[in-house]
Amino acid sequence: MTHPPARRVVVGLGAPDRGDDAVGPTVAREVAAVLAQRPVPGVEVLEREDPTALLDVWAGAELTVVCDAVRSGSPPGTLHVVRTGKDLPPLTEGHVQEAGSHDFGLASAIELARALGRLPEHVVVVGVEARSFEWGEPLTRQVAGAVPSAVAEVMALLRS
Amino acid sequence: MSMQPTSERTLSVEVLARVEGEGGLHLSMRNGKVAEAKLNIFEPPRFYEAFLRGRSMMELPDLTARICGICPVAYQFSACMAIEDACGVTVPDSVHALRRLLYCGEWIESQTLHVYMLHAPDFMGYAGAIEMAKDYPTEVARGLSMKKAGNELMTLVGGRSVHPVNTKIGGFYKMPSVADMMALRPALAQGLEDALETVRFCAGLEFPEFERPYLFVSLRPETGYPIDSGRIVTSRGEDLSVREFVERVEEVHVEHSNALHGVLDGEPYVVGPLARYSLNFDRLSPLAQQAARDAGLGETCYNPFKSIIVRAVETVEAFHEALRIIDSWVDGLPASVPVPPREAEGWGATEAPRGLCFHRYKIDDDGLVTDAQIAPPTSQNQPSMEADLRELAQEWMWMSDEDLTLRAEVAIRNYDPCISCSVHFLDLTVDRG
Repeated sequence: MTHPPARRVVVGLGAPDRGDDAVGPTVAREVAAVLAQRPVPGVEVLEREDPTALLDVWAGAELTVVCDAVRSGSPPGTLHVVRTGKDLPPLTEGHVQEAGSHDFGLASAIELARALGRLPEHVVVVGVEARSFEWGEPLTRQVAGAVPSAVAEVMALLRS
Repeated sequence: MSMQPTSERTLSVEVLARVEGEGGLHLSMRNGKVAEAKLNIFEPPRFYEAFLRGRSMMELPDLTARICGICPVAYQFSACMAIEDACGVTVPDSVHALRRLLYCGEWIESQTLHVYMLHAPDFMGYAGAIEMAKDYPTEVARGLSMKKAGNELMTLVGGRSVHPVNTKIGGFYKMPSVADMMALRPALAQGLEDALETVRFCAGLEFPEFERPYLFVSLRPETGYPIDSGRIVTSRGEDLSVREFVERVEEVHVEHSNALHGVLDGEPYVVGPLARYSLNFDRLSPLAQQAARDAGLGETCYNPFKSIIVRAVETVEAFHEALRIIDSWVDGLPASVPVPPREAEGWGATEAPRGLCFHRYKIDDDGLVTDAQIAPPTSQNQPSMEADLRELAQEWMWMSDEDLTLRAEVAIRNYDPCISCSVHFLDLTVDRG
Protein backbone atom coordinates (compact mmCIF):
# COMPACT_ATOMS: atom_id res chain seq x y z
CA MET A 1 0.00 0.00 0.00
CA THR A 2 1.45 3.37 -1.01
CA HIS A 3 0.60 6.83 0.28
CA PRO A 4 -1.18 9.12 -2.17
CA PRO A 5 1.30 11.64 -3.62
CA ALA A 6 1.48 15.00 -1.83
CA ARG A 7 -0.74 17.64 -3.40
CA ARG A 8 1.11 20.27 -5.39
CA VAL A 9 -0.59 23.18 -7.12
CA VAL A 10 0.37 25.35 -10.07
CA VAL A 11 -1.68 28.55 -10.33
CA GLY A 12 -1.58 30.87 -13.33
CA LEU A 13 -2.61 34.27 -12.02
CA GLY A 14 -3.88 37.13 -14.18
CA ALA A 15 -6.48 38.28 -16.69
CA PRO A 16 -6.34 36.29 -19.94
CA ASP A 17 -7.25 39.35 -22.04
CA ARG A 18 -5.03 42.06 -20.66
CA GLY A 19 -1.71 42.06 -22.49
CA ASP A 20 1.18 40.63 -20.49
CA ASP A 21 -1.09 40.00 -17.50
CA ALA A 22 -2.02 36.82 -19.39
CA VAL A 23 1.47 35.37 -18.94
CA GLY A 24 0.44 33.54 -15.73
CA PRO A 25 -2.53 31.72 -17.31
CA THR A 26 -0.47 31.08 -20.49
CA VAL A 27 2.35 29.39 -18.54
CA ALA A 28 -0.23 27.37 -16.57
CA ARG A 29 -1.86 26.12 -19.78
CA GLU A 30 1.47 25.05 -21.23
CA VAL A 31 2.42 23.31 -17.99
CA ALA A 32 -0.90 21.44 -18.16
CA ALA A 33 -0.12 20.42 -21.75
CA VAL A 34 3.32 19.09 -20.75
CA LEU A 35 1.80 17.20 -17.81
CA ALA A 36 -0.78 15.63 -20.15
CA GLN A 37 2.14 14.08 -22.08
CA ARG A 38 4.37 13.29 -19.08
CA PRO A 39 2.25 13.16 -15.93
CA VAL A 40 3.64 14.03 -12.50
CA PRO A 41 1.41 12.52 -9.77
CA GLY A 42 -0.49 14.80 -7.40
CA VAL A 43 -0.15 18.00 -9.45
CA GLU A 44 -3.15 20.24 -10.03
CA VAL A 45 -3.01 23.14 -12.51
CA LEU A 46 -5.40 26.09 -12.07
CA GLU A 47 -6.01 29.56 -13.47
CA ARG A 48 -7.29 32.39 -11.30
CA GLU A 49 -7.87 36.12 -11.82
CA ASP A 50 -8.37 37.15 -8.20
CA PRO A 51 -5.21 36.73 -6.08
CA THR A 52 -7.29 36.30 -2.91
CA ALA A 53 -8.43 32.96 -4.40
CA LEU A 54 -4.93 31.69 -3.50
CA LEU A 55 -5.95 31.51 0.16
CA ASP A 56 -8.23 28.62 -0.71
CA VAL A 57 -6.41 26.88 -3.54
CA TRP A 58 -3.15 26.39 -1.66
CA ALA A 59 -4.78 25.01 1.47
CA GLY A 60 -3.15 21.66 2.23
CA ALA A 61 -0.67 21.87 -0.65
CA GLU A 62 2.90 20.81 -0.02
CA LEU A 63 4.11 23.11 -2.79
CA THR A 64 2.37 25.98 -4.58
CA VAL A 65 3.86 27.50 -7.71
CA VAL A 66 2.29 30.84 -8.67
CA CYS A 67 2.96 32.09 -12.20
CA ASP A 68 2.34 35.79 -12.56
CA ALA A 69 3.29 38.95 -14.39
CA VAL A 70 5.82 41.08 -12.52
CA ARG A 71 6.91 44.70 -12.74
CA SER A 72 10.26 45.46 -11.17
CA GLY A 73 12.03 47.61 -13.74
CA SER A 74 13.98 44.71 -15.29
CA PRO A 75 13.87 44.24 -19.07
CA PRO A 76 10.53 42.73 -20.24
CA GLY A 77 10.66 38.94 -20.36
CA THR A 78 13.11 38.63 -17.43
CA LEU A 79 12.31 35.59 -15.30
CA HIS A 80 12.04 36.07 -11.52
CA VAL A 81 11.89 33.07 -9.20
CA VAL A 82 11.09 34.01 -5.61
CA ARG A 83 10.53 31.62 -2.73
CA THR A 84 8.22 32.58 0.08
CA GLY A 85 6.21 30.83 2.75
CA LYS A 86 5.08 31.10 6.32
CA ASP A 87 8.63 31.06 7.72
CA LEU A 88 10.21 33.07 4.93
CA PRO A 89 10.34 36.87 4.59
CA PRO A 90 7.60 38.78 2.70
CA LEU A 91 7.91 39.58 -0.97
CA THR A 92 9.49 42.96 -1.47
CA GLU A 93 8.00 45.65 -3.63
CA GLY A 94 9.08 45.10 -7.18
CA HIS A 95 8.31 41.42 -6.91
CA VAL A 96 4.68 42.28 -7.12
CA GLN A 97 2.41 42.70 -10.05
CA GLU A 98 1.14 46.23 -10.35
CA ALA A 99 -2.54 46.17 -9.53
CA GLY A 100 -5.18 48.78 -8.81
CA SER A 101 -5.56 49.52 -5.12
CA HIS A 102 -9.16 48.34 -5.39
CA ASP A 103 -7.85 44.92 -6.26
CA PHE A 104 -5.51 42.88 -4.20
CA GLY A 105 -2.15 42.16 -5.78
CA LEU A 106 -0.18 38.95 -5.28
CA ALA A 107 2.04 40.36 -2.53
CA SER A 108 -1.03 41.63 -0.64
CA ALA A 109 -2.72 38.25 -0.95
CA ILE A 110 0.42 36.54 0.41
CA GLU A 111 0.66 38.95 3.34
CA LEU A 112 -3.06 38.72 4.03
CA ALA A 113 -2.72 34.92 4.11
CA ARG A 114 0.24 35.24 6.48
CA ALA A 115 -1.77 37.49 8.83
CA LEU A 116 -4.63 35.00 8.80
CA GLY A 117 -2.34 32.01 9.38
CA ARG A 118 -3.22 30.63 5.94
CA LEU A 119 0.15 30.94 4.20
CA PRO A 120 1.61 27.48 3.50
CA GLU A 121 5.25 26.57 4.02
CA HIS A 122 6.35 26.49 0.41
CA VAL A 123 5.21 29.00 -2.18
CA VAL A 124 7.32 29.75 -5.24
CA VAL A 125 6.50 32.68 -7.47
CA VAL A 126 7.62 32.24 -11.06
CA GLY A 127 7.26 35.77 -12.38
CA VAL A 128 7.82 37.12 -15.86
CA GLU A 129 8.66 40.80 -16.19
CA ALA A 130 5.79 42.42 -18.10
CA ARG A 131 5.78 45.36 -20.47
CA SER A 132 2.13 46.18 -21.16
CA PHE A 133 -1.27 45.59 -19.50
CA GLU A 134 -3.46 46.86 -22.37
CA TRP A 135 -6.95 45.35 -22.53
CA GLY A 136 -7.51 43.13 -25.56
CA GLU A 137 -3.83 42.98 -26.52
CA PRO A 138 -1.87 39.71 -26.80
CA LEU A 139 1.39 39.04 -24.93
CA THR A 140 4.20 41.33 -26.06
CA ARG A 141 6.99 39.67 -28.06
CA GLN A 142 9.53 39.67 -25.21
CA VAL A 143 7.08 38.18 -22.72
CA ALA A 144 5.81 35.53 -25.15
CA GLY A 145 9.46 34.64 -25.74
CA ALA A 146 9.96 34.02 -22.01
CA VAL A 147 7.09 31.52 -21.70
CA PRO A 148 9.13 28.36 -22.55
CA SER A 149 11.76 29.13 -19.89
CA ALA A 150 9.01 29.87 -17.32
CA VAL A 151 7.38 26.51 -18.17
CA ALA A 152 10.76 24.76 -17.81
CA GLU A 153 11.25 26.42 -14.42
CA VAL A 154 7.83 25.25 -13.20
CA MET A 155 8.47 21.70 -14.44
CA ALA A 156 11.86 21.63 -12.69
CA LEU A 157 10.19 22.69 -9.44
CA LEU A 158 7.55 19.97 -9.80
CA ARG A 159 10.12 17.27 -10.53
CA SER A 160 12.54 18.26 -7.77
CA MET B 1 -10.44 74.73 25.00
CA SER B 2 -10.65 75.22 21.28
CA MET B 3 -7.72 75.59 19.00
CA GLN B 4 -7.48 78.88 17.14
CA PRO B 5 -7.65 78.18 13.42
CA THR B 6 -4.55 79.37 11.65
CA SER B 7 -5.15 81.99 9.01
CA GLU B 8 -3.96 79.81 6.13
CA ARG B 9 -4.00 76.06 6.04
CA THR B 10 -3.71 73.65 3.15
CA LEU B 11 -4.22 69.91 3.36
CA SER B 12 -3.70 67.64 0.45
CA VAL B 13 -3.47 63.95 -0.27
CA GLU B 14 -1.56 63.38 -3.48
CA VAL B 15 -2.81 59.86 -4.17
CA LEU B 16 -5.79 58.45 -2.29
CA ALA B 17 -5.36 54.93 -0.91
CA ARG B 18 -7.96 52.19 -1.07
CA VAL B 19 -9.91 53.62 -3.99
CA GLU B 20 -9.90 52.30 -7.55
CA GLY B 21 -7.84 54.47 -9.88
CA GLU B 22 -5.78 57.57 -9.32
CA GLY B 23 -7.12 60.62 -7.59
CA GLY B 24 -6.18 63.04 -4.84
CA LEU B 25 -7.86 65.63 -2.70
CA HIS B 26 -7.10 69.22 -1.92
CA LEU B 27 -8.48 71.39 0.88
CA SER B 28 -7.52 74.96 1.55
CA MET B 29 -8.72 77.18 4.37
CA ARG B 30 -8.37 80.93 4.82
CA ASN B 31 -9.19 82.80 8.03
CA GLY B 32 -11.28 80.01 9.50
CA LYS B 33 -13.28 79.36 6.32
CA VAL B 34 -12.94 76.65 3.72
CA ALA B 35 -11.75 78.33 0.55
CA GLU B 36 -11.46 75.30 -1.68
CA ALA B 37 -12.36 71.59 -1.52
CA LYS B 38 -11.45 69.58 -4.58
CA LEU B 39 -11.32 65.96 -5.54
CA ASN B 40 -8.66 65.76 -8.22
CA ILE B 41 -9.04 62.98 -10.72
CA PHE B 42 -5.90 62.73 -12.78
CA GLU B 43 -6.25 59.20 -14.07
CA PRO B 44 -5.91 59.68 -17.83
CA PRO B 45 -9.10 59.75 -19.92
CA ARG B 46 -9.94 56.73 -22.06
CA PHE B 47 -12.22 58.19 -24.75
CA TYR B 48 -14.70 55.33 -24.46
CA GLU B 49 -17.72 57.16 -25.85
CA ALA B 50 -15.71 58.26 -28.88
CA PHE B 51 -14.29 54.88 -29.81
CA LEU B 52 -17.66 53.13 -29.46
CA ARG B 53 -18.94 55.12 -32.45
CA GLY B 54 -18.91 52.90 -35.53
CA ARG B 55 -18.83 49.66 -33.50
CA SER B 56 -21.61 47.10 -33.70
CA MET B 57 -24.25 47.28 -30.95
CA MET B 58 -23.65 43.55 -30.38
CA GLU B 59 -20.10 44.33 -29.16
CA LEU B 60 -21.26 46.75 -26.47
CA PRO B 61 -21.57 44.32 -23.53
CA ASP B 62 -18.01 43.05 -24.04
CA LEU B 63 -16.51 46.47 -24.79
CA THR B 64 -18.16 48.43 -21.98
CA ALA B 65 -17.43 45.69 -19.41
CA ARG B 66 -13.75 46.70 -19.66
CA ILE B 67 -14.54 50.12 -18.24
CA CYS B 68 -14.33 48.51 -14.81
CA GLY B 69 -12.88 45.39 -13.22
CA ILE B 70 -15.10 45.74 -10.15
CA CYS B 71 -18.49 46.56 -11.68
CA PRO B 72 -18.41 45.22 -15.27
CA VAL B 73 -21.98 43.87 -14.98
CA ALA B 74 -23.30 47.41 -14.41
CA TYR B 75 -21.87 48.49 -17.77
CA GLN B 76 -22.91 45.33 -19.61
CA PHE B 77 -26.52 45.48 -18.50
CA SER B 78 -26.98 49.24 -18.83
CA ALA B 79 -25.73 48.87 -22.43
CA CYS B 80 -28.02 45.86 -23.10
CA MET B 81 -31.05 47.70 -21.76
CA ALA B 82 -30.33 50.82 -23.82
CA ILE B 83 -29.98 48.82 -27.05
CA GLU B 84 -33.06 46.70 -26.32
CA ASP B 85 -34.93 49.95 -25.63
CA ALA B 86 -33.74 51.41 -28.96
CA CYS B 87 -34.78 48.28 -30.86
CA GLY B 88 -38.13 48.01 -29.09
CA VAL B 89 -37.41 44.52 -27.72
CA THR B 90 -38.60 43.14 -24.39
CA VAL B 91 -36.53 40.30 -22.92
CA PRO B 92 -38.26 37.32 -21.26
CA ASP B 93 -38.67 37.05 -17.48
CA SER B 94 -36.02 34.31 -17.39
CA VAL B 95 -33.46 36.79 -18.76
CA HIS B 96 -34.52 39.43 -16.23
CA ALA B 97 -34.14 36.92 -13.41
CA LEU B 98 -30.72 35.74 -14.51
CA ARG B 99 -29.50 39.30 -15.01
CA ARG B 100 -30.60 40.08 -11.48
CA LEU B 101 -28.81 36.99 -10.19
CA LEU B 102 -25.54 37.87 -11.94
CA TYR B 103 -25.87 41.42 -10.63
CA CYS B 104 -26.26 40.03 -7.07
CA GLY B 105 -22.87 38.35 -7.58
CA GLU B 106 -21.31 41.67 -8.52
CA TRP B 107 -22.91 43.44 -5.54
CA ILE B 108 -21.65 40.75 -3.17
CA GLU B 109 -18.09 40.90 -4.55
CA SER B 110 -17.91 44.66 -4.59
CA GLN B 111 -19.75 45.57 -1.38
CA THR B 112 -17.86 42.93 0.63
CA LEU B 113 -14.50 44.05 -0.71
CA HIS B 114 -15.32 47.63 0.17
CA VAL B 115 -16.73 46.93 3.64
CA TYR B 116 -13.93 44.68 4.91
CA MET B 117 -10.84 45.51 2.87
CA LEU B 118 -11.20 49.20 2.08
CA HIS B 119 -13.51 50.87 4.56
CA ALA B 120 -13.50 48.95 7.87
CA PRO B 121 -9.77 49.65 8.47
CA ASP B 122 -10.67 53.37 8.57
CA PHE B 123 -13.06 52.88 11.47
CA MET B 124 -10.88 50.33 13.26
CA GLY B 125 -7.75 52.48 13.11
CA TYR B 126 -5.65 50.37 10.75
CA ALA B 127 -3.66 51.35 7.68
CA GLY B 128 -5.26 48.55 5.68
CA ALA B 129 -6.84 45.11 5.67
CA ILE B 130 -3.56 43.23 6.14
CA GLU B 131 -2.81 45.09 9.37
CA MET B 132 -6.42 44.64 10.50
CA ALA B 133 -6.32 40.90 9.71
CA LYS B 134 -3.61 40.36 12.34
CA ASP B 135 -5.97 41.52 15.11
CA TYR B 136 -9.33 40.65 13.54
CA PRO B 137 -8.74 37.44 11.58
CA THR B 138 -12.34 36.21 11.98
CA GLU B 139 -13.82 39.36 10.49
CA VAL B 140 -11.40 39.56 7.56
CA ALA B 141 -11.79 35.83 6.85
CA ARG B 142 -15.57 36.33 6.85
CA GLY B 143 -15.20 39.08 4.25
CA LEU B 144 -13.01 36.86 2.07
CA SER B 145 -15.43 33.99 2.33
CA MET B 146 -18.38 36.20 1.28
CA LYS B 147 -16.40 37.63 -1.60
CA LYS B 148 -15.57 34.10 -2.70
CA ALA B 149 -19.29 33.23 -2.77
CA GLY B 150 -19.83 36.31 -4.96
CA ASN B 151 -17.00 35.23 -7.28
CA GLU B 152 -18.53 31.75 -7.57
CA LEU B 153 -21.93 33.20 -8.42
CA MET B 154 -20.36 35.39 -11.11
CA THR B 155 -18.48 32.39 -12.50
CA LEU B 156 -21.61 30.22 -12.56
CA VAL B 157 -23.82 32.76 -14.35
CA GLY B 158 -21.28 34.87 -16.19
CA GLY B 159 -18.66 32.25 -17.04
CA ARG B 160 -15.90 34.27 -15.34
CA SER B 161 -15.45 35.95 -11.94
CA VAL B 162 -14.62 39.27 -13.62
CA HIS B 163 -15.76 40.58 -17.00
CA PRO B 164 -18.47 37.95 -17.58
CA VAL B 165 -18.50 36.45 -21.06
CA ASN B 166 -21.99 34.89 -21.01
CA THR B 167 -24.03 38.08 -21.49
CA LYS B 168 -25.21 39.50 -24.80
CA ILE B 169 -27.71 41.97 -26.22
CA GLY B 170 -31.06 40.15 -25.86
CA GLY B 171 -30.04 37.86 -22.98
CA PHE B 172 -27.44 35.17 -22.36
CA TYR B 173 -25.53 32.66 -24.48
CA LYS B 174 -26.24 29.81 -22.06
CA MET B 175 -28.55 29.27 -19.10
CA PRO B 176 -27.12 27.55 -16.01
CA SER B 177 -28.87 24.35 -14.92
CA VAL B 178 -30.83 23.81 -11.72
CA ALA B 179 -28.13 21.31 -10.67
CA ASP B 180 -25.37 23.91 -11.13
CA MET B 181 -27.35 26.44 -9.13
CA MET B 182 -28.10 24.02 -6.32
CA ALA B 183 -24.40 23.18 -6.02
CA LEU B 184 -23.85 26.82 -5.11
CA ARG B 185 -26.71 27.02 -2.63
CA PRO B 186 -24.75 26.10 0.54
CA ALA B 187 -22.15 28.82 -0.12
CA LEU B 188 -24.91 31.41 -0.63
CA ALA B 189 -26.80 30.31 2.47
CA GLN B 190 -23.58 30.65 4.49
CA GLY B 191 -23.04 34.02 2.80
CA LEU B 192 -26.41 35.23 4.02
CA GLU B 193 -25.51 34.31 7.60
CA ASP B 194 -22.14 36.04 7.20
CA ALA B 195 -23.83 39.13 5.75
CA LEU B 196 -26.15 39.38 8.75
CA GLU B 197 -23.09 39.10 11.00
CA THR B 198 -21.44 41.83 8.90
CA VAL B 199 -24.36 44.21 9.58
CA ARG B 200 -23.89 43.59 13.32
CA PHE B 201 -20.14 44.16 12.99
CA CYS B 202 -20.62 47.45 11.11
CA ALA B 203 -23.26 48.64 13.56
CA GLY B 204 -20.67 48.34 16.33
CA LEU B 205 -18.27 50.80 14.70
CA GLU B 206 -18.08 54.40 15.84
CA PHE B 207 -19.39 57.06 13.49
CA PRO B 208 -18.92 60.82 13.46
CA GLU B 209 -22.11 62.86 13.79
CA PHE B 210 -22.47 64.26 10.30
CA GLU B 211 -25.46 64.63 8.01
CA ARG B 212 -26.09 66.55 4.83
CA PRO B 213 -29.41 67.30 3.09
CA TYR B 214 -28.60 65.20 0.03
CA LEU B 215 -30.68 65.09 -3.12
CA PHE B 216 -30.88 61.30 -3.51
CA VAL B 217 -31.43 59.62 -6.88
CA SER B 218 -31.97 55.90 -7.49
CA LEU B 219 -33.86 53.38 -9.53
CA ARG B 220 -37.15 52.05 -8.23
CA PRO B 221 -38.57 48.97 -9.95
CA GLU B 222 -42.19 47.83 -9.82
CA THR B 223 -41.26 45.23 -7.24
CA GLY B 224 -38.17 44.46 -5.20
CA TYR B 225 -35.06 46.42 -4.31
CA PRO B 226 -33.45 48.43 -7.13
CA ILE B 227 -30.62 46.47 -8.77
CA ASP B 228 -31.12 45.78 -12.46
CA SER B 229 -34.05 47.92 -13.62
CA GLY B 230 -36.69 50.48 -12.73
CA ARG B 231 -37.82 54.07 -13.12
CA ILE B 232 -35.78 56.85 -11.55
CA VAL B 233 -36.98 58.49 -8.34
CA THR B 234 -35.54 61.35 -6.29
CA SER B 235 -35.82 62.50 -2.69
CA ARG B 236 -37.72 65.59 -3.85
CA GLY B 237 -40.50 63.34 -5.09
CA GLU B 238 -39.80 63.03 -8.81
CA ASP B 239 -40.59 59.81 -10.66
CA LEU B 240 -38.98 59.81 -14.11
CA SER B 241 -38.33 57.50 -17.00
CA VAL B 242 -34.63 56.89 -17.63
CA ARG B 243 -34.92 59.05 -20.73
CA GLU B 244 -36.53 61.96 -18.87
CA PHE B 245 -33.84 61.76 -16.21
CA VAL B 246 -30.96 61.65 -18.69
CA GLU B 247 -32.35 64.67 -20.50
CA ARG B 248 -32.33 66.67 -17.27
CA VAL B 249 -28.83 65.71 -16.18
CA GLU B 250 -26.01 67.87 -17.31
CA GLU B 251 -22.45 66.60 -17.34
CA VAL B 252 -20.05 69.47 -16.84
CA HIS B 253 -16.31 69.57 -17.14
CA VAL B 254 -14.26 71.15 -14.35
CA GLU B 255 -10.61 72.01 -14.65
CA HIS B 256 -9.25 69.92 -11.77
CA SER B 257 -10.78 66.62 -12.83
CA ASN B 258 -10.75 64.27 -15.78
CA ALA B 259 -14.22 63.08 -14.70
CA LEU B 260 -17.31 65.01 -15.77
CA HIS B 261 -19.43 66.31 -12.89
CA GLY B 262 -23.12 65.35 -13.06
CA VAL B 263 -25.81 67.82 -11.97
CA LEU B 264 -29.62 67.43 -12.04
CA ASP B 265 -31.37 70.69 -13.00
CA GLY B 266 -28.14 72.39 -11.94
CA GLU B 267 -28.07 70.73 -8.49
CA PRO B 268 -25.57 68.18 -7.21
CA TYR B 269 -27.11 64.82 -6.36
CA VAL B 270 -26.08 61.54 -4.78
CA VAL B 271 -26.40 58.01 -6.14
CA GLY B 272 -25.39 54.78 -4.39
CA PRO B 273 -26.22 52.84 -1.22
CA LEU B 274 -27.58 55.78 0.84
CA ALA B 275 -29.84 56.90 -2.01
CA ARG B 276 -31.12 53.40 -2.84
CA TYR B 277 -31.75 52.63 0.80
CA SER B 278 -33.44 55.91 1.68
CA LEU B 279 -35.73 55.80 -1.37
CA ASN B 280 -36.50 52.08 -1.23
CA PHE B 281 -36.44 50.91 2.38
CA ASP B 282 -39.94 49.46 1.85
CA ARG B 283 -38.56 47.31 -0.97
CA LEU B 284 -35.98 45.47 1.14
CA SER B 285 -36.85 41.94 2.24
CA PRO B 286 -38.22 41.75 5.81
CA LEU B 287 -34.93 40.07 6.82
CA ALA B 288 -32.82 42.98 5.54
CA GLN B 289 -35.23 45.54 7.03
CA GLN B 290 -34.96 43.87 10.41
CA ALA B 291 -31.15 43.73 10.17
CA ALA B 292 -31.12 47.47 9.40
CA ARG B 293 -33.40 48.28 12.32
CA ASP B 294 -31.33 46.13 14.69
CA ALA B 295 -28.27 48.06 13.52
CA GLY B 296 -29.95 51.29 14.58
CA LEU B 297 -30.68 52.61 11.10
CA GLY B 298 -33.91 54.46 10.39
CA GLU B 299 -35.76 54.17 7.09
CA THR B 300 -33.52 56.84 5.61
CA CYS B 301 -29.84 57.55 6.19
CA TYR B 302 -28.18 60.90 5.55
CA ASN B 303 -24.89 60.19 7.37
CA PRO B 304 -22.39 59.24 4.63
CA PHE B 305 -20.06 57.57 7.17
CA LYS B 306 -22.83 55.06 7.86
CA SER B 307 -22.80 53.95 4.24
CA ILE B 308 -20.71 51.00 5.48
CA ILE B 309 -23.75 49.70 7.42
CA VAL B 310 -26.02 50.29 4.43
CA ARG B 311 -23.63 48.36 2.18
CA ALA B 312 -23.77 45.48 4.65
CA VAL B 313 -27.60 45.60 4.63
CA GLU B 314 -27.54 45.58 0.82
CA THR B 315 -25.27 42.54 0.93
CA VAL B 316 -27.89 40.76 3.04
CA GLU B 317 -30.43 41.70 0.35
CA ALA B 318 -28.15 40.45 -2.44
CA PHE B 319 -27.62 37.02 -0.83
CA HIS B 320 -31.31 36.77 0.02
CA GLU B 321 -32.31 37.69 -3.52
CA ALA B 322 -29.77 35.29 -5.05
CA LEU B 323 -31.19 32.43 -2.97
CA ARG B 324 -34.74 33.38 -3.97
CA ILE B 325 -33.82 33.31 -7.67
CA ILE B 326 -31.93 30.00 -7.59
CA ASP B 327 -34.68 28.37 -5.51
CA SER B 328 -37.30 29.19 -8.15
CA TRP B 329 -35.09 28.33 -11.14
CA VAL B 330 -36.22 25.66 -13.63
CA ASP B 331 -34.39 24.15 -16.58
CA GLY B 332 -35.25 24.85 -20.20
CA LEU B 333 -36.06 28.56 -19.93
CA PRO B 334 -35.35 30.80 -22.94
CA ALA B 335 -31.80 32.22 -22.81
CA SER B 336 -32.28 35.13 -25.20
CA VAL B 337 -34.42 36.82 -27.82
CA PRO B 338 -33.27 38.16 -31.19
CA VAL B 339 -32.73 41.93 -31.29
CA PRO B 340 -33.07 43.15 -34.89
CA PRO B 341 -31.39 46.56 -35.32
CA ARG B 342 -33.22 49.70 -36.44
CA GLU B 343 -32.29 53.37 -36.57
CA ALA B 344 -33.20 54.63 -33.09
CA GLU B 345 -32.02 56.02 -29.78
CA GLY B 346 -32.24 54.07 -26.50
CA TRP B 347 -31.73 54.60 -22.78
CA GLY B 348 -30.70 52.11 -20.08
CA ALA B 349 -29.90 52.39 -16.38
CA THR B 350 -28.95 49.93 -13.63
CA GLU B 351 -27.64 50.21 -10.09
CA ALA B 352 -23.89 49.59 -9.96
CA PRO B 353 -22.76 48.80 -6.40
CA ARG B 354 -21.67 52.43 -6.02
CA GLY B 355 -24.78 53.88 -7.69
CA LEU B 356 -26.80 54.56 -10.79
CA CYS B 357 -25.02 53.91 -14.09
CA PHE B 358 -26.82 55.17 -17.19
CA HIS B 359 -26.14 54.74 -20.89
CA ARG B 360 -27.63 56.30 -24.01
CA TYR B 361 -26.90 55.14 -27.56
CA LYS B 362 -27.97 56.06 -31.06
CA ILE B 363 -27.70 53.29 -33.61
CA ASP B 364 -28.28 53.13 -37.36
CA ASP B 365 -30.20 50.55 -39.43
CA ASP B 366 -27.20 48.21 -39.45
CA GLY B 367 -26.90 48.34 -35.68
CA LEU B 368 -23.75 50.48 -35.71
CA VAL B 369 -23.36 52.95 -32.86
CA THR B 370 -23.53 56.58 -34.04
CA ASP B 371 -23.56 58.26 -30.61
CA ALA B 372 -22.81 57.05 -27.07
CA GLN B 373 -23.15 58.52 -23.59
CA ILE B 374 -22.03 56.60 -20.50
CA ALA B 375 -22.44 58.11 -17.02
CA PRO B 376 -20.76 56.14 -14.23
CA PRO B 377 -21.83 56.69 -10.61
CA THR B 378 -18.57 58.22 -9.43
CA SER B 379 -18.78 61.19 -11.78
CA GLN B 380 -22.39 61.80 -10.73
CA ASN B 381 -21.29 61.76 -7.07
CA GLN B 382 -18.26 63.96 -7.49
CA PRO B 383 -19.90 67.35 -6.78
CA SER B 384 -21.40 65.89 -3.64
CA MET B 385 -18.10 64.40 -2.49
CA GLU B 386 -16.58 67.86 -2.76
CA ALA B 387 -19.51 69.39 -0.84
CA ASP B 388 -18.96 66.79 1.91
CA LEU B 389 -15.28 67.74 2.05
CA ARG B 390 -16.12 71.44 2.32
CA GLU B 391 -18.68 70.86 5.05
CA LEU B 392 -16.62 68.49 7.15
CA ALA B 393 -13.54 70.70 6.94
CA GLN B 394 -15.64 73.60 8.20
CA GLU B 395 -17.11 71.51 11.00
CA TRP B 396 -13.88 69.88 12.14
CA MET B 397 -11.47 72.74 11.48
CA TRP B 398 -10.22 72.47 15.08
CA MET B 399 -8.70 69.05 14.33
CA SER B 400 -4.97 68.59 13.71
CA ASP B 401 -3.90 68.43 10.05
CA GLU B 402 -3.31 64.72 10.37
CA ASP B 403 -6.74 63.93 11.84
CA LEU B 404 -8.60 66.21 9.47
CA THR B 405 -6.80 64.75 6.46
CA LEU B 406 -7.70 61.23 7.56
CA ARG B 407 -11.33 62.20 8.07
CA ALA B 408 -11.38 63.79 4.61
CA GLU B 409 -9.98 60.61 3.06
CA VAL B 410 -12.58 58.51 4.84
CA ALA B 411 -15.26 60.89 3.51
CA ILE B 412 -14.13 60.13 -0.03
CA ARG B 413 -13.99 56.39 0.65
CA ASN B 414 -17.59 56.65 1.94
CA TYR B 415 -18.54 56.76 -1.74
CA ASP B 416 -16.34 53.79 -2.72
CA PRO B 417 -15.30 55.86 -5.73
CA CYS B 418 -14.29 54.03 -8.85
CA ILE B 419 -12.05 56.62 -10.34
CA SER B 420 -10.96 54.74 -13.44
CA CYS B 421 -14.61 54.30 -14.48
CA SER B 422 -15.42 57.94 -14.06
CA VAL B 423 -12.76 59.35 -16.31
CA HIS B 424 -14.05 60.97 -19.46
CA PHE B 425 -12.45 62.97 -22.21
CA LEU B 426 -11.05 66.37 -21.56
CA ASP B 427 -12.09 69.22 -23.84
CA LEU B 428 -8.95 70.84 -25.09
CA THR B 429 -8.94 74.47 -26.19
CA VAL B 430 -5.86 75.85 -27.84
CA ASP B 431 -5.39 79.57 -27.42
CA ARG B 432 -2.90 80.86 -29.94
CA GLY B 433 -3.34 84.50 -29.06
